[in-house]
Amino acid sequence: MKTILKAKLPELLEQLAKEYKVLVPAKLEGVSRFAAYRENLELALEENVTMPPKDIFFPQTEEMYKFKSKDQSLEIEEIPQDEKLQVIFGVRSCDMKSIDCLDQVFLTKGFVDPFYQDKRDKSILIALSCVKPMESCFCTSMGIDPQKGQGADIQAYDLGEKLGFEGITERGQEVLSKVSGMFAEEDAAIPSIGEFNLTADVEGLPEKLKDMFDHPIWDDISRKCLNCSTCAYVCPTCHCFDIASEVRGEDGTKIRCWDCCMVDEYTVMAGGHQPRPGKKERVRNRFLHKLRYFPERYNMLLCTGCGRCVVKCPVNLDITNVIKKLQEA
Amino acid sequence: MSEMTKKMQEIAREILEKGEAQVVIGWEKGTFWYLSPPAFIDKPEDVQRLVWDDFCHNNLSKYLVDLKNHEGKTAVFVKGCDSRAFNRLLQDKQIDREKVILIGIPCPGLLDQDKAKELGKNSELPKAQKCLECQYPNPLVYDYYLGDKEALNEVAATKEAADYSDVAAIEAMSPDERYDFWTRQYDRCIRCYACRNVCPACSCRECVFDQTRVGWIGKANNSSENQFFALTRAMHVAGRCIECGECERACPMDIPIMLLNKKLVKDINELFGEYDAGVDIEGKLPLGHFDKNDPEEFM
Repeated sequence: MKTILKAKLPELLEQLAKEYKVLVPAKLEGVSRFAAYRENLELALEENVTMPPKDIFFPQTEEMYKFKSKDQSLEIEEIPQDEKLQVIFGVRSCDMKSIDCLDQVFLTKGFVDPFYQDKRDKSILIALSCVKPMESCFCTSMGIDPQKGQGADIQAYDLGEKLGFEGITERGQEVLSKVSGMFAEEDAAIPSIGEFNLTADVEGLPEKLKDMFDHPIWDDISRKCLNCSTCAYVCPTCHCFDIASEVRGEDGTKIRCWDCCMVDEYTVMAGGHQPRPGKKERVRNRFLHKLRYFPERYNMLLCTGCGRCVVKCPVNLDITNVIKKLQEA
Repeated sequence: MSEMTKKMQEIAREILEKGEAQVVIGWEKGTFWYLSPPAFIDKPEDVQRLVWDDFCHNNLSKYLVDLKNHEGKTAVFVKGCDSRAFNRLLQDKQIDREKVILIGIPCPGLLDQDKAKELGKNSELPKAQKCLECQYPNPLVYDYYLGDKEALNEVAATKEAADYSDVAAIEAMSPDERYDFWTRQYDRCIRCYACRNVCPACSCRECVFDQTRVGWIGKANNSSENQFFALTRAMHVAGRCIECGECERACPMDIPIMLLNKKLVKDINELFGEYDAGVDIEGKLPLGHFDKNDPEEFM
């Protein structure tokens, strides 16, 4: 395995930044998220970041194109995309899996989203193994190996004092070859992961939920929900969006923005009918999407056990607890 | 089990058994030791879920807006801030006094959740900022009261004068510095609207930020829209904010929202005289009526 002292990591990133756009987990204005590497950036490697890597591929606000309409004519102007390859360092296993979920939505079943694809194709992912689960983590319950990131180009291992690197794809090997002089070659044992505080039993749940649409349990589960969008916006897998135009005179921009099934406008129909009028219907949709509809369509859960919603929900509407209630119902 | 928890469970059981209310809203233990989220209790056998501890932060009066069209009565536990929120909602005719049973709890001030998470169970934990600044730890209105009146006085004695030094520090900045400060704060806003949804002063049937077809606010997340949201939200709760600090606690991005709210409380005090929302429900709202002595600097 290729190893490097953690203290040397900034140097390594510096080196990579000469060739690639490098994104790293960092603390910016009190919030940890992926940010473009620069000198003296405060890296956040102790715990997973608050904001998942989702917005690298699927930004909260994406300008799709600009347009100009005058009289009967319409001009469309494409938005130039960044041409540089981007190396994303330090993606935890849960978030690697979430990228797989997003890939399913934006790249498969005959629907390819060019905006997502463009950023995804330019990305080289360096997954980072976890040594100690956070108290809100439950990735193993979701069938995820916290020490092996699915779909990684390079797998990095937290070895305590050092970091270990293993090139997996050709692209990954190439990135490592650019900085090969900085590594030592040695055998290293990957530290075992500690105990998980949270667990969730999802065995048979998608199947069970087929008959639970009208179950009274949803009243109980949804009661304390505030219908804010915190859970969806910190979720690495939630991917709903809304397309809008911003028009000033003759000029306009088409934008697409994150949306969330907790809010009224999400389902309101032309003419004003609201098929999901209240908390029950909206909360039910959120959990059925994650635990039944997505597995039905893509054969995988839409939850990776990252625990962000468990931490950030203002009323502690904890998905592991919801799963428990659904299993017991 | 604490004495107060025992009392809570007893009274909740009594209320449900006698059929005085159909549901009791309190707090229960959450996923972690430092979380005590809201709990809805419908059956006497479920009362043992109820707890009172240092982390019962959620302002439960907000839920009364959800239940206003429900048949039957709702019983709800109120700390000082929850009771002010109740008064405010009552003043706005959002709830029917007859349909609510209030169970008052003297609040000694709750502990800081974030610090609890950071420092761990066996450390000395500071009180939440909102509790340090609380002027009304005791419930101002209640039908039942848990605890003795002496404890009430004791808690009341600990209250300190309102401290606006944090607001003053922002006021002392130059306009450019201030703009830079707030831009940095609200650039990280993800517009999840948790601050609005948790707020007991936010009770509009249709919020201005949800009127997307009218287009008061764009959907894009950028400095301009985020600051429009920040300022509009703050102005809309001005004169009605009861300073429970729930917006700031709920914010997943740790934006110092109470600084804005406190600035408006301070301004109202200076312009229209000392006013604490949700304390006296008979009095006129400072921004809800016209007085010919009101300052008119702009005229």
